Amino acid sequence: MPLVVAENLCKDYGKIVAVDSLCLEVNEGSIVGLIGPNGAGKTTTIKMILGLMKPDRGRVEVFGKNPWDDPKIRSDVGVVYEKPLFPAGEKVSDYLERVCRIFGVDESRASEVLKLVNLDEANDRPIKALSAGMLQKFAIAHSVIHEPRFVIADEITSNLDPKARSSLLDLILQLHEDQKVTFLLSSHILPELSRVCDSVVIINKGKVNAAGSLSELYEKFTARTIRVSSDKPHELAEAVKRLPYVEKVETDSQGISVKISKEGDDAVYQDISKLARKIRAKILGIETESTSLEELYKVVVDSEVN
Amino acid sequence: MRKPKPFIEILSSSLHGDYKFPILEILAFLFVLSSFVFTNIGGWGSTGASEEFVVFSIIRSLMGLPLFILVMLLLKNIASGIGNDLEKGTIQTLLAYPLKRRSILTARLLSAFGMALLLFLGIQISALYILTPDMVAPNLPVVLLSYAANISLPLFIASVTLLMALILRKGSLGVIVGIMFFFLFGILSSLVSFMSQAMNSILPMQLYSLVSPSFCLDFYYGSLQSDHVFWAPSFSEALMYVGAGYGISAFLFCLSYFYFCRRLNL
Repeated sequence: MPLVVAENLCKDYGKIVAVDSLCLEVNEGSIVGLIGPNGAGKTTTIKMILGLMKPDRGRVEVFGKNPWDDPKIRSDVGVVYEKPLFPAGEKVSDYLERVCRIFGVDESRASEVLKLVNLDEANDRPIKALSAGMLQKFAIAHSVIHEPRFVIADEITSNLDPKARSSLLDLILQLHEDQKVTFLLSSHILPELSRVCDSVVIINKGKVNAAGSLSELYEKFTARTIRVSSDKPHELAEAVKRLPYVEKVETDSQGISVKISKEGDDAVYQDISKLARKIRAKILGIETESTSLEELYKVVVDSEVN
Repeated sequence: MRKPKPFIEILSSSLHGDYKFPILEILAFLFVLSSFVFTNIGGWGSTGASEEFVVFSIIRSLMGLPLFILVMLLLKNIASGIGNDLEKGTIQTLLAYPLKRRSILTARLLSAFGMALLLFLGIQISALYILTPDMVAPNLPVVLLSYAANISLPLFIASVTLLMALILRKGSLGVIVGIMFFFLFGILSSLVSFMSQAMNSILPMQLYSLVSPSFCLDFYYGSLQSDHVFWAPSFSEALMYVGAGYGISAFLFCLSYFYFCRRLNL
């Protein structure tokens, strides 16, 4: 069941079209990655989903309600903004206890969430004394304090060091598995998204270029790359180039990398073996190379440009 | 699970931010000091002035400096409250809570205006009772009308400042506009009298009284003392100007609410 439904969302800033007929669905229990280049419309989309911005056209629903008109849905939504924004002078624990009272949860939850993000030692510090990374952790603690069903995070890992990023992703997976929290994550750091997301939405110039599970998108947009190690790489490359489904062949001293289109999926191993036998080349190894989310993203965005 | 209290918590956080120690204490001291030190309560007996006129004049002198402090306090609270929220973006955090936009603005305004007005009026009325214990009760309508008329202009300036702060999304800019308005109206009061006499028309005075009804009230009580005044508005006319002043401020506040609740994209 979709928690978020956006249909034909449009938002202009004067002459600049930020979001153009964008459609999006986030299903309950999923972790969806929202990716796109700078200025693609990710933050504007997130703001419309949160009810901070009113769409010029189109419809957005969260838990079946319009987020602009119905603030009650926020009892079930947690938010982490790209730049965490809290009253600088307040103490960490005082502020979180206030947030507990706002949501009507027990104040002991404040120390629980601080422990969850490993920030319990900063309990008595004023918010302004937190480092950028600590502030990000604080923002995450703040977003899950009321045990929301859905968390939206804009550039969640941008201020964190690699270790902190890794533990944050573990935390996301833990919340997802233990409490069945649904996430919509926007991030520029694509390898991280591929680690936690089960589906992605790639947007560019305010439009959705591609959406679906990672496997579906790899299948649809990326050519498979086969790595063949051989004792005669140059001869083998010349022979393989003639196969109708081969798009590109790269050669090095150890072997060849063959990019093939979808049509070659079933026959490629057999065909390469046949060709190798014909030219008396030895095949020392053959395997399919995996495509990263970064490559997928490049292919999708480039295909739109072309 | 406890009962959520988002409005009370936002209000308490606003009060905490607006009146951080020792702001409230210093303001109270300044209000008390200026109320008692600069008030002219002596010498009215020998002038033969009516009691109404005396009460009005005492209130005018009692309010001089405190009214200026009140305006500055209201402007500061707009800048550091909702203005700061918009400027620094903390409003987005407030909007992550299950609270309507109008409740957020109401909490901010209650803290910015309610507390300041309560402090101002509390000290003023107490000072009036202490300085002229026999005059307040018998002249309560004059007291109420004088305060209502004099607070109208600060409210008008505050409402303009609020609207500017919301549209410009910068509290500090809104405050600069507010301070300019305050001094502009001070200069305008002399200018409209001059213009009216030069044009031989009370229209500039009437227009000015719409936003500053204490100006009309000055002439009303002045006309009770002397027949030779340029403009002698009736009591109902004075009341009408007070009502109009509050009406204009209320309209501007409603406009601010509408803009904040229905138009402001963050």
